[in-house]
Amino acid sequence: MHELVTIELSVNGVARSLLIEPRETLAEVLRDRLGLTGTKVSCDAQVCGACTVLVDGLAMSACTYLAVDADGRAVRTVEGLATDGVLAPVQQAFVDKAAFQCGFCTSGMLMAATALLEDNPTPTREEVVRGLEGNICRCTGYVPIVEAVLAASRAGDAAGAARIEQGSENSGGAR
Amino acid sequence: MIPRFSLVRPHTLDEALAAFEATGGDAAYLAGGTELLQVMKLGFAQIGTLIDVKRVPDLKGIERRPDGWLRLGAAVTHREIERSELVRHELPALAGLELHLANARVRNAGTIGGNLAFAEPHSDPATFLLACGATVLLASPSGRRELPIDEFVVGPLFTAREADEVMISVQVPPAAAGEGRSYDKLAFFERPAASVAVRLTVRDGAITAATVAVGSVGPVPALVAGAAEALLGADAGGDGLEAAVTAASGALADIEAEADLNGSADYKRHLAAVLLRRAVAAAIREAQADA
Ligand SMILES: Cc1cc2nc3c(=O)[nH]c(=O)nc-3n(C[C@H](O)[C@H](O)[C@H](O)COP(=O)(O)OP(=O)(O)OC[C@H]3O[C@@H](n4cnc5c(N)ncnc54)[C@H](O)[C@@H]3O)c2cc1C
Ligand code: FES
Ligand code: FES
Repeated sequence: MHELVTIELSVNGVARSLLIEPRETLAEVLRDRLGLTGTKVSCDAQVCGACTVLVDGLAMSACTYLAVDADGRAVRTVEGLATDGVLAPVQQAFVDKAAFQCGFCTSGMLMAATALLEDNPTPTREEVVRGLEGNICRCTGYVPIVEAVLAASRAGDAAGAARIEQGSENSGGAR
Repeated sequence: MIPRFSLVRPHTLDEALAAFEATGGDAAYLAGGTELLQVMKLGFAQIGTLIDVKRVPDLKGIERRPDGWLRLGAAVTHREIERSELVRHELPALAGLELHLANARVRNAGTIGGNLAFAEPHSDPATFLLACGATVLLASPSGRRELPIDEFVVGPLFTAREADEVMISVQVPPAAAGEGRSYDKLAFFERPAASVAVRLTVRDGAITAATVAVGSVGPVPALVAGAAEALLGADAGGDGLEAAVTAASGALADIEAEADLNGSADYKRHLAAVLLRRAVAAAIREAQADA
């Protein structure tokens, strides 16, 4: 018999108790055990960011993160971003700015952006670029993606909105 | 898929050491797993038992010891170091280095202990901590020992750590009066192509002590005594500095270098020389801000 471990975690706000093998990655558990296939695996080497999920609010590479390490923690995936069918501001911004083509990088981009904006609600363009370093997109190009994140930061933040009204936003190069 | 392994999650150092002994040696300590899991996934290592050290309190925390040394727990993540007010204040070049290491996900999971224990030749912290005169503290069932970085990192992916030894912490000496410490790198991919760390002391306007370490260029981060000597006695603010930095850069011309994805050996030596110039300027700025 293989060794099995019970883990208790919350996934997108729902408490889960799972019996898993220690070697299972968080991506495998999310996709294969919970059917949450929004989390993608591409490089499988922590380089591309397609598998980005949040563990206690921090971006992690689910492809190389043991599910047992999420024991007792709160995991959030792209499936948890929208509320009652209404897209989160960052998702809506990706639509508005046409920030995806094939979409394979998008779940990871959205989760990386979510972590970034929760940590820093009014990032500069440079901070967005730096925060998304390590999330690779092979078709859209990064300009619309960065613009979408900046747009989401403004939409979701009163200070950002005020800056726009005054025409003195610090991310002036965004458009 | 990662090959099967057994997992132990000890809560104390003694439990961790006992868990290793109980396996008869077919075990490895696990921290963030950013290197270890990758190596296992690729089939380069088959390990019976992983002993997760992330819950061991001795490996946590960042603090200034009464003697002024900065102590970083081995299981402290890159993110924690980057955001530590204490590190930003005591050793700003380390906080800056951590901010530019890898990507956010690796910084969130990866630890300083795992980075040093893995001894990847392109390690940023290993190069900087070497110049700083830092040490690592190791514990095994037979006792503890503290090693300076240059005795700890002995080759590419190879350290003086015995398999059963847990790294507990990293210790960095405080800056002397008029001392500045800096680090600069150039990276095209995830890891640096070349990096340089400088530690120097400025007294009465002249450089009175200097250490230069070069990373990512050769098989291990290396101290370059010739470059450090060339800086000694130079006028930190005036014309003499230019000649001293040129001489120091010249001393990098024959350091051990290996071609890799980033470029040829000569190209990487050239990068190191450019970075040395910048790192010396930054270290002098810090030294003089301190004075
Ligand atoms: C995509 C990517 C980019 C990267 N870019 C950079 C970069 O630019 N610069 C840089 O410096 N590094 C870089 N790294 C390396 C990164 O810093 C390390 O992967 C990380 O710090 C390793 O820590 P960990 O906790 O994940 O170690 P683990 O993978 O858990 O362990 C690594 C090794 O150390 C051993 N070990 C871990 N902790 C201990 C301990 N306390 N006592 C004894 N042994 C221990 C393990 O047994 C294993 O052999 C990069 C890594 C990746 C994946
Ligand atoms: S699939 Fe995890 S980072 Fe690429
Ligand atoms: S939209 Fe295709 S990879 Fe980014």
